[in-house]
Amino acid sequence: MEVKIVTEGTTTTVSFIGRLDTPVSQEVAAKVEPVLEKADGIIVLDCKEMSYISSSGLRIFLTVRKAAAAKGGRVIVRDMNPDIRNVFMMTGFLNLFEIQEG
Amino acid sequence: MRERLRQIFSGILLLVVAAAMLEGTALIQMFFSQKGLRNEASLRAESEMETAGVKILDIANQAEAAVRNSEWIAQWCMAFPDSLVSVSRRIVEDNPVVVGSTVALVPGYDRKRPLFSPYVCRDGDGLAVSSLATEEYDYPSQEWFVKPLEVNGGYWSEPYLDEGGGNILMTTYSMPVTDYEGRQAAVITADISLDWLSDLIADMEVYPGAQAILYSRGGEVMVQTGPAPEGKTTHFSSRVERTGWMMSITIPDKEIFGSIRRIAIYITLLQLIGVILLAVIIRSASKSEKKYQKIHKAQERMEGDLKIASSIQMSMIPKADTIGPEYKELDIAASILPAKEVGGDLYDFFLRNGRLYFCIGDVSGKGIPASLVMAVTRSSFRTLVARESSPAAIVTAMNDGLAEMNENNMFVTFFCGVLDLDSGRLRYCNAGHNAPLILTDAIRQLPVQPNLPLAVIRGMSFPEQETVLKPDDALFLFTDGLTEAENIDHELFGDARVAAALRCRRTAENHLKAMTEAVSAFVGDAPQSDDLTMLFIHYLGTEISGSITLRNDIADLPLLSEFVRKTAGEAGMDGASIELALEEAVTNVMQYAYPAGVQGSVEVSASIEPESVRFTVADEGNPFDPTAAPDPDVSLSAEDRPIGGLGIFLVRQIMDSVAYAREGNRNILTMIKKR
Repeated sequence: MEVKIVTEGTTTTVSFIGRLDTPVSQEVAAKVEPVLEKADGIIVLDCKEMSYISSSGLRIFLTVRKAAAAKGGRVIVRDMNPDIRNVFMMTGFLNLFEIQEG
Repeated sequence: MRERLRQIFSGILLLVVAAAMLEGTALIQMFFSQKGLRNEASLRAESEMETAGVKILDIANQAEAAVRNSEWIAQWCMAFPDSLVSVSRRIVEDNPVVVGSTVALVPGYDRKRPLFSPYVCRDGDGLAVSSLATEEYDYPSQEWFVKPLEVNGGYWSEPYLDEGGGNILMTTYSMPVTDYEGRQAAVITADISLDWLSDLIADMEVYPGAQAILYSRGGEVMVQTGPAPEGKTTHFSSRVERTGWMMSITIPDKEIFGSIRRIAIYITLLQLIGVILLAVIIRSASKSEKKYQKIHKAQERMEGDLKIASSIQMSMIPKADTIGPEYKELDIAASILPAKEVGGDLYDFFLRNGRLYFCIGDVSGKGIPASLVMAVTRSSFRTLVARESSPAAIVTAMNDGLAEMNENNMFVTFFCGVLDLDSGRLRYCNAGHNAPLILTDAIRQLPVQPNLPLAVIRGMSFPEQETVLKPDDALFLFTDGLTEAENIDHELFGDARVAAALRCRRTAENHLKAMTEAVSAFVGDAPQSDDLTMLFIHYLGTEISGSITLRNDIADLPLLSEFVRKTAGEAGMDGASIELALEEAVTNVMQYAYPAGVQGSVEVSASIEPESVRFTVADEGNPFDPTAAPDPDVSLSAEDRPIGGLGIFLVRQIMDSVAYAREGNRNILTMIKKR
């Protein structure tokens, strides 16, 4: 899994490329951790190129979301494929995030 | 060989002992018989001699009496010697036994007649008188004259041949005559002829060949019969009173014991026959022992043959260990328990072109005849299964084949089924066999048409029936040896007990074990009366796509993903959600089942069923039931949502059914996703 982090002003975009499954989740969590400091701004979690997510990945998403909630920032999840969207729906995560399509 | 020698030796020993006993008995008998015969001979001889003695005495008495009765006259006549002749005359005349008589004066008694002895004897019908007082004869020197004077009493002379009177054997009784002064004056005599003695003694022949002899006082032979007997003899003797004669009888032993010799010969013959008979008996006894040994050997051979027959029969039917991986859609177990070494029950199963061909049957009767028909039935089934795919066609053809060669009116109840492993379609045909049980959500009898058993009527057509087995359904086929197993009180095991034993679902093998235990517990000590055969077919209905074993290391998870995607692809399903569920389930095991740092494994197997896909996750870690955890509250706000607890929740959300079981030391999590 590749993680790209691009910060433009108050908006930090994190792009997940590939599978966010359990084996990679720790590594991804570590990469994402610096982003949490910018949780007072807007964090965009770009799922356009994410093919898969497991509960470990959801944890990372939830961690980001909790940090934003604590700092008053926003978290936008963008471009989920149907499978990932389905997982978000099952877990109630659709209600926790701002979802942007297309 | 050694055994044979021992037998011969003991036979001979028996013969010798028997012969010795017989001979001993005969010898004792001979001894007492001889003693008896000797006594008898003695009695006979003595009685003969007594008779003869009495006769002799009678004659002697007559002679003595004649002499004694005349003594007084002679005494009286001493004064007139010339009258003495009349005394002698009277003696001869009055006594027929007396042939001659004289009164001889003692020499010198009468001065006128120094020697005087007128002798009167019979001469034809009359009497003749002569004088013995001759110089040649010199009567005073004769014994008959000397002895009576010497002994001064009656005296019987030694017998002598009367030279004058025709060589007749004679004897003389003489006694002295004293005168009134007491002087010895004369000797008075009476001669008697002894020719009758010959007849008398000749009559004494008590036994043929015996010799009787009459001895005079001086030991001269007076009369004897025949020649002296030869060989061993027995001698009897008796003295005749007064005369001093001795009678003797000599009897040859062979005459005394002749009869017993004959008896002895008979006895010996009988003994010989007895011993020969005994020998024959011993021989026939040893023959019959040999015969018995032969029978025994034949029986042993028979038992050996039966054991071989039994193992041949058992090798005809498929065993549990022949059930290979090609039976992956099935869990099959079978057992056959013949009442005798060989039995008439059969079962068989056989895979061909994705179908399971199976059968169960029961040949009428038991033992070897039934086993032969069983073998024919089974090979007939195998032959037909190779080309026929319809159970009705198989059964119909088997019936024709068996009926054609059925000369002993045997029959076979038979059930044949063909199970399509992909679809679960079961076609079957029943020929008089009891209905199998089908285990679905309930236990019920498979509906079967009764039909006639095999081999009854040729040309019968057997209808085919059909049903569909759902995955996890099972069939239980059995012979009536199960339901009709009897306990000591002749109660039958019965359908209800069979159904009860099937109620709890187990593996096929455990089902049969449980059933066998239930039957043997019910039957107890009662002997098994019929062959008992069971066939359990559990239709898993699935193709187990495979399984994968992972270490308890999340680094192995990509292998799982690949496996799950492949399985989902085979099932024609979208793999993403299934992949997620499996990853969550397995991650859960990897993270929680084994203590930190302990190496363990997780086995994941998948099977594609007609309507679903089944995954099983198994591990040997600590008992842990992930389904027991409460679902997270998905309505909570982000601040309140806990970080964990989503994994198993996702599994439940994705899968249609999730079940946990602890089997032995394994945690088993079974997940089913509908297709």
